[in-house]
Amino acid sequence: MTLHTRATRRRLALAVGAGMTLALLATGCAGQAGGSSTSAGGTSLLAAMDNGSPTFTRNFNPFSASKRTTANVIYEPLFVPNVLDGTLVPFLGTKYTQPDASTIVVDVRTGVTWQDGTAFSADDVAFTYQLLKDFPALDTTGAWQDLASVDVEGQTVTFHLSSANVPAAAVVLNVPIVSKHLWSKVTDPVTYTDENPVGTGPYKLGDFNENQYTLTKYADYWQADKVAASEVVLPASNTQLDVVNNGYDWAYAYMSDVENTWVKAGKANTYWFPPGGTIALLPNLTKAPYNNVDFRQGLSLALDRTKIADVAEEGYVKAAGTSGLLLPNQKDWLDPSLPNGGEVTQDTTAALAAFAKAGYTKDASGKLVDSSGAQFAVTISTVNGWSDWLRGVQEVQRQLEAVGMAVTVDQPQQAAFEQARAQGDFDLAMGSFGGTGSLYNDFNQLMGSEFSVPVGQTASANFERYSSPAADAALASLKVAVDPAAQKKDGYQLQQLMTKDLPVVPLFYGGLWGLFSSTHFTNWPSADNPYATPATWGSNPLLILTTITAAH
Amino acid sequence: MRYVLSKIGLLLLTAWAAITVNFLLPRMMPGSPADAAIAKLSRNGTVSPATRAAIEAQLGVPGGSLWHQYVSYLDSIRRFDFGLSYTFFPQPVSELVTKALPYTVILVGTVTVLAFVLGTLIGIGAAWKRGTWMDSLPTLSGSFLSAFPYFWTGLLLLFFLGYQLRWFPTSGAYGARTLPGWNGAFVSDVLAHAVLPALTILITSLGGWILGMRNTMINTLGEDYVTFAEANGLRSRTVAIRYAARNAILPNLTGFGLALGGVVGGSLLVEQVFHYPGVGYLLYNAVVNQDYPLMQALFLMITISVLAANFVVDVLYGFLDPRTRR
Repeated sequence: MTLHTRATRRRLALAVGAGMTLALLATGCAGQAGGSSTSAGGTSLLAAMDNGSPTFTRNFNPFSASKRTTANVIYEPLFVPNVLDGTLVPFLGTKYTQPDASTIVVDVRTGVTWQDGTAFSADDVAFTYQLLKDFPALDTTGAWQDLASVDVEGQTVTFHLSSANVPAAAVVLNVPIVSKHLWSKVTDPVTYTDENPVGTGPYKLGDFNENQYTLTKYADYWQADKVAASEVVLPASNTQLDVVNNGYDWAYAYMSDVENTWVKAGKANTYWFPPGGTIALLPNLTKAPYNNVDFRQGLSLALDRTKIADVAEEGYVKAAGTSGLLLPNQKDWLDPSLPNGGEVTQDTTAALAAFAKAGYTKDASGKLVDSSGAQFAVTISTVNGWSDWLRGVQEVQRQLEAVGMAVTVDQPQQAAFEQARAQGDFDLAMGSFGGTGSLYNDFNQLMGSEFSVPVGQTASANFERYSSPAADAALASLKVAVDPAAQKKDGYQLQQLMTKDLPVVPLFYGGLWGLFSSTHFTNWPSADNPYATPATWGSNPLLILTTITAAH
Repeated sequence: MRYVLSKIGLLLLTAWAAITVNFLLPRMMPGSPADAAIAKLSRNGTVSPATRAAIEAQLGVPGGSLWHQYVSYLDSIRRFDFGLSYTFFPQPVSELVTKALPYTVILVGTVTVLAFVLGTLIGIGAAWKRGTWMDSLPTLSGSFLSAFPYFWTGLLLLFFLGYQLRWFPTSGAYGARTLPGWNGAFVSDVLAHAVLPALTILITSLGGWILGMRNTMINTLGEDYVTFAEANGLRSRTVAIRYAARNAILPNLTGFGLALGGVVGGSLLVEQVFHYPGVGYLLYNAVVNQDYPLMQALFLMITISVLAANFVVDVLYGFLDPRTRR
């Protein structure tokens, strides 16, 4: 019996072994997405910019919530914003003017053809905007929030806004343009998956299977000379092991110990982690004591933000001050009169003084207590599974416990977290803001009282429910300001309010995790050449794919 | 016959209860599908209020009263129409499930059968030779290995065999540049990709079968009829298999039936670690994204197959063990 079993096992081991060998021989290196190589057809670029879950579904509808991210490379908008400095880079539009604060006039590019050879015209632009108006579910960027009507005359498109709104241009002009001749035949564009997309962009869809697809260069692209990679290869699985092992040219991934992993994996590997938003503690301003500004100042002073940033993101990002700006991206907008540039250093004595003003004092046993002597307790909510946020929250917990608070960390699933935060059901919640590239949008979504709805109703922004006439006035003025000096004045005012009122307590900057290799391509975005962020979603990749050059 | 009929009645009742719970449970989770989609987006930066509105419109929150939803849910089950997935909107749920099912059934199914057969045989051997190294070795290593969580074993294999030695691919069901089809290259590629996840499940589940079989068999070996058989001078192999093992296998068989029913649920953690596109991974996606339609279809499939497997084992038991028929 036992002999028999042993023989079976040995036979099995042999069979498995032989199977493995055969399989490996048969597949060779095809099992791995091989690194990019220069072949007769040109240079191919291996990118981790679209992650399957775990495989790809074929959906290139650029307005769908679950589209492939590269739908925004195949379909181009009129202008692509560089969110780092707020400039709009011309694509299907050549230039735009704002004759007054409620009108945008765009000259549409001529000589552009769709990837099926049909000529592109301003009619396609008008068709696209009408499509979003007819199907609001498609309007994911919210162009029609600000639009009243769109007129076409020759190759000129005039956008009439519903109200004076200078910063709206960045949103309104960044809509992927689809072709009238194909999309007018689509009966239900909301559930349309656009499996064979035809855009005007630098790449068209090549081979597609559920594990990997390719984009091939569109030879007649209007700026084809600027497109260096003849092919972009996108695998569905981009685990950290894959990224380090397989010789990627461009990856977007948070990589632990990046110097010893990614940088060591290839001679020409570099990384750039610019700030993409501010991670903050949102106090529930409808609840005591969080509605007390002295208490919030105490919270802010009790925290060592550099330590929090280091613990949360391994030192790849900097601590965030109270200006509300994304620094250094927006350094030109920083109010010079802000003390210490808005940066706050930990000062426990001052924090305790602020808490005392709010009615909380440290008792003999070191606990922070209210006037009745009861221990002060707070719950901080963060999303389950977002480990960097959690590490940050745990450091906040340690530091607040050091000043005598009892701190609980609550980690609901993302949907439950989102619901509780939107409905105002929290003490302190983690959140991020900013990074839209527009000062107005950054501050409006953070401080605009229009978003502050009663607790129990779902807020779409301003979850802390801040409301201040001074902030609303500054926002209203910034919304219509065309002159940079006037824009700065309002921006300064908002930074002062942020620092004084502390509607949220900024902690650290959330990074954009760009990993690049200069083996095959150079001129990637970097701190020295910040022409785009490393983001792989939205229209940002258009900026990168039309700027990188082949390495020699 | 009465026995089988009463089992069928019980099966139908449990199926209805499971279907109903399956409807209620996802709806008791806090948050909506749109909340989940927005939370995911908000990780990449600010989600503008307009995006929120568009996503809510696109996905459509299930409308109507709970009762109304329940009736239309029952009706859609009758028609085998599970609607569109929220996570992979607008993909039909049925399409997603039919794509994921073969990978899971082949991978987890084969390994479950293999683990059962191997484990039971080793268990018989261990019980027969109890007290020797042939008992202590599989028993100790079996309980040692099965104490590891699936994902831990998976990560170890991934790191050493996949990353360090590069013997096997580390993720997916087949290579990025292999095209699906019934040809040698594709099949061998799928096999190569299945080795690590299969090994993970095999290593962690083998111990349970070994221990279960060994312990019951040691009990049976003390029975009078075994001693009688031995005293009659039957060959030791005949005594081990025909007398002891055959009676000892019943509990393991029940476990096997349940395990087979659970196969379609996939192996969530293993599929996660290896990015294996099976049902387990799909289920994980459905749950974290509050994808009601996908969750309903998957839970339904899992409960029905567990019930069916249970039913088959129950009926089989009636034949194997006359005592249950009373």
